[in-house]
Amino acid sequence: MNGESYATALWLVIVWPLLLAIPALHSRLPLPRHLAIIPAVVLISLPADISLILPWLLFQTELAFTEEVRWLLLMSVAIWLTAATMTKPSRNDPDESRSTTFFLLTMTGNLGVILVTDLVGFFSFSTLMGYSLYGLLIQGGDVEVRRAGRLYLMFLIIADLLLFEALLLAAFSSETMQFDAVRDAMTGATASQLYVWLIVIGFSLKAAVWPTHLWLLVIFNSARPATTLLLGGVPIAMALFGAVRYLPLGQQNFDVLGLTLTIFGVTIMLYAVFRLFTGKHPKRLPGWSSVAITGLFVTTLGAGLSDPVLWRAYEHFVYPFIATTGILLAVLIIATLQSQMTEDSSVSVFKHANSFNLWIKPWISMLQRWSMDSLLLAQSVRHSSWDIPQKQYQRISDRKPSGRFFNGWPAKITLFVLLGLALAWLAV
Amino acid sequence: MSWDEWMPLLLLVSSLLPGLLIFFLAEERVRLRTALNMAAALVKLVLVCWMLWGVYHGHDYETRLMLLPELELVLRAGPLALFFVTLSAILWLVTTVYAIGYLEGAPHRSRFFGFFSLCVTATVGVALAGNLITFLLFYELLTLSTYPLIVHRGTEAARRAGQSYLAYTLFGGALLLLGTVWLYTLTGTLEFTPKGFVSTLAETDHPVLIIIFILMIAGLGVKAALVPLHGWLPQAMVAPAPVSALLHAVAVVKAGAFGIIRVVYEVFGVEFSAVLGVAGPLAALAAFTIIYGSLRALFQDDLKRRLAFSTVSQVSYITLGIAIAGPIAAIGGVVHLVHQGVMKITLFFCAGNLAETLGIHKVSEMNGVGRRMPWTMAAFTIGAFGMIGAPPIAGFVSKWYLGLGALEVGQDWVLLVLAGSSLLNAAYFLPILHRAWFCKPLGTWPNEHNFGDKETAWSLLLPPLLTAALALAAGLLALLPFSPLAWAKLIAVREFYQP
Repeated sequence: MNGESYATALWLVIVWPLLLAIPALHSRLPLPRHLAIIPAVVLISLPADISLILPWLLFQTELAFTEEVRWLLLMSVAIWLTAATMTKPSRNDPDESRSTTFFLLTMTGNLGVILVTDLVGFFSFSTLMGYSLYGLLIQGGDVEVRRAGRLYLMFLIIADLLLFEALLLAAFSSETMQFDAVRDAMTGATASQLYVWLIVIGFSLKAAVWPTHLWLLVIFNSARPATTLLLGGVPIAMALFGAVRYLPLGQQNFDVLGLTLTIFGVTIMLYAVFRLFTGKHPKRLPGWSSVAITGLFVTTLGAGLSDPVLWRAYEHFVYPFIATTGILLAVLIIATLQSQMTEDSSVSVFKHANSFNLWIKPWISMLQRWSMDSLLLAQSVRHSSWDIPQKQYQRISDRKPSGRFFNGWPAKITLFVLLGLALAWLAV
Repeated sequence: MSWDEWMPLLLLVSSLLPGLLIFFLAEERVRLRTALNMAAALVKLVLVCWMLWGVYHGHDYETRLMLLPELELVLRAGPLALFFVTLSAILWLVTTVYAIGYLEGAPHRSRFFGFFSLCVTATVGVALAGNLITFLLFYELLTLSTYPLIVHRGTEAARRAGQSYLAYTLFGGALLLLGTVWLYTLTGTLEFTPKGFVSTLAETDHPVLIIIFILMIAGLGVKAALVPLHGWLPQAMVAPAPVSALLHAVAVVKAGAFGIIRVVYEVFGVEFSAVLGVAGPLAALAAFTIIYGSLRALFQDDLKRRLAFSTVSQVSYITLGIAIAGPIAAIGGVVHLVHQGVMKITLFFCAGNLAETLGIHKVSEMNGVGRRMPWTMAAFTIGAFGMIGAPPIAGFVSKWYLGLGALEVGQDWVLLVLAGSSLLNAAYFLPILHRAWFCKPLGTWPNEHNFGDKETAWSLLLPPLLTAALALAAGLLALLPFSPLAWAKLIAVREFYQP
C-alpha cells in the first residue's frame, strides 16, 4: 500500500460509518453495524504515522493515526464490535433503522474524536457522538431512561458550551488549532487558568463525574444492553482522552487547581467505593464503578496539572491507560449484564437483555469471571466465597427507581464533603 | 452606458419585469406563470454569478441615474452588496419552487407571485443602493410590496397582522427618512463611503449626529426586529409559509440588518461610531434582543411563533457583530446574514410542510412526526442544530467569529451572551426534536393530506432539503474560496477595514 491508500484507509474510518448511517443504505445491507467498523479494524492493522490534511474541511481538519491512538482505536473497535454483536437486529421493528442510524453516527463521532488532531475537529466529532448517543439512549427507553436522557442531555449542552468558550480562548491565543500548538500557547496565555477550568469542568460533565453522575446510574438499570455498554464506556474514556489532549499537562504548574482536582478526584473514588460497599442494589455496581473511574480521571488530571515533572515521566502510559479503563468498564458492564440475565431473568430490570446473541454467551461468561475476580476483589474480601455477591445480584429489587434521584442528598453531600475535607487536611 | 453600468440595473429588471407581467396573467395560466417565475429566478442567479466573478477579481459595477437635481439613484455592486444579492437570488429561486407547490390550487396566485417578485426587486435594490436616498427608496418599496403578501389570505388575523406591519414599518421608514434628510443638511452628501462620511464634521455637531444615529437605527431596527420594535414580526406569522420564509430569511428583517451594517460602517464609520459612543449601546441593545427573543421563543407553543421569536434573537447577532466594532466580529456579523437566512428558511419550509401535509401548527402536536415525515424533520434538525451553534453547521461558524471578534476587542461579556443564547436556543429547539423523533404520535394528525408513498409533495420537500444541505455545507466547507465566510472576509478587507 502506498501513502494515498493509507490516507484513504484513514478517511474511510470516518466516512464509511457516516455513509452507512443513511437509512436507505444500511437497510439494504446485512449487519451494517459490523460492516461499519471494518475500516477501523483495517486501520489498526496498518503501520502507524499516517496523516491526512483536509484544508477545506471546517477550519482545516487533520486526521492522524499514530502509535498512541492505536490503543484507543483498539478499545473503541472492541467496544463497538461487542455492542454491535449484542444488538439483535429485527427487521420487524420499525425503530430498528433509526437505532442503527444513531448507533453509526455515534460510532462515527467516536472514531473521529480519536483520529482528529485539532480542537475544532475534536469538538465537532464529540458533539456528533454526544447527541447521537442521546438518541441511542432514549430510543425505545422507559420513563427512567428518558429521565436519565434528559439529565445526560442537559449536562452535554452545558459541557459543549463550556468547551466552546474554551475553544475561543484557545483560538485567540494560538496561531493554529492543532493540539500541540494550543497546549504550547495556553501555557503562557493570560487566560490559561480560565481555559483549564473550562476544559476540566466541560469534560467532567461529559464523563459524568460526581455530582453529575445520576444519569449514569440510571442507564445501568434500564437501558438496552448495547446502549449501556456504550454509555458506560465510551463517554468516560473519550472525555479523559479529550482532557488530556486539550490541557497543557506537563507544561506549567497549576498548583492550586491541580491539588484541588486531586483531592476532589480521590474523594470521588473513596465515595464511590464506599457506596459500592454499602449499596443495597447490586445492579448499581457498574454504575458506582464508573463513578470511581471518573474519580480516577479527575485525579489523573489533577496530578498532571500540579506536577509537570511527574506527568512528563508517565505521559506515555496515558493512552494505554485510557484504553484499558474503557475496556475494563466495558467488561464490567458486560459481566454484570450477563450475570443479571443468567441468574434471574424473570425479574431482571435489564428488560432488553434477551436480545443478546447466543454465541456471545460463553465469551461473556469468561469475561465475567475475570472481571469479577479483578474488579470486585474488594467486595469478595468481605465474604467467604464468590457465591455471596452472586446471590446479592439475584436479589433484584422490584421497586422502580423513579423519584429516587434526589432522595437522601443531604446525607450524601455531607459524606462527600467530609471525605473531601479529610483528604484536604491530609494533603496540607 | 457601458456593459458594467447596465449590470446592476439588469439585476433589478430581471425580477421587476417578470413580476409586472405576472400581475396581468390570468389565474389559470399556471404554466406560463411558473415558467416566468423560474426563468426570472434563474436569469437573476446567472447575472449574480457573473457579477460575483467580476467583483472577486476587482471589477466595479455601478449605475447612476439622476433622480432630482443633486440626488442620484446609485446602484453599486460591491462585495457587501453582492453578498446580500446572492443570498436573495438563491433563496428566491428556492422559495419560488416551494411557493409553487405550496399554493397549488390556491386563489390569487398571480397577485401573490407578482408581489413576490416586486419584493425581491426591492430587496436587491436595498442591497445595491450606493447612497442613502436610493436605499430609502427601495426600503419603502419593500414595505409596500410585502404588505399584500402578509394579508394574502384575507382573514381577519391576516388583516390585523398587515396593519400592525404597516404601522411599524412606515413609522420606521419615517424615522429613517428624518435621519437621512437631517444628515443631508449637515453633510451635503448621502453616498455610502468606506469608513463613513460624517467623521469630518465639527465636534459641536456630535450631539446632533448621535440623535441622527438613533433615528436611523430606530428606523432600521423596526425591520431588523430589535426590541422593542419587534412586535410586528410574530404577528406576521399568519402569512403563508413562503411569505414567512421571505420575511425572515430573504428580505425584510435582512434589509433592516443590512441597513444597520451600512449605517454603522459606511455612513458613520465604525471608528467614529465608537468616538460618538453609540456602538456600545447598540451592542448592548443587540445582546438584550438576543436573550429576550430566545426567552420569548421558549414559551411559544405555536411553531411559527417560536421560529419568529427565534428570528428576533438570531438577527441581532448581525447587529451585535457590527456593533462590537472589530474586523473579526464584523466578519461574524456579516456572515450570519447568509447563515441565518439559510438556516431559518429551512425551518420555515419545514414548518410549512408540517402545516400543509399534516395540519400541524403547534409544537405540542409534533409527537412522532419524525416517523411520518423523516426527510422534512431531518432538514429541520440540521436547521435547529445550526441555530444552536452546533458544529459543523453554519451557525457554529458565525458564533465562532463573533466570539473571537469579541475577545479581539476586549468585549469578553459577549461570550456570556453567546453561551446564554445557545443554551436558550437548545432549550427551545431540542424539545421539538425530541417530540418529533422520540415521542409516539398522539393519534391521527390534525389535517392529513395524502401524497401516496411520499411524505409530501416534491416541490415542498426539495427546498428544505436543499437549504439544509446549504447550511451544512456553509459550515463544513467554510474555508473554500466562494463560501459565505470567505466572502465575508473579502468584505471586511475591501470595504470595512481597507488600508
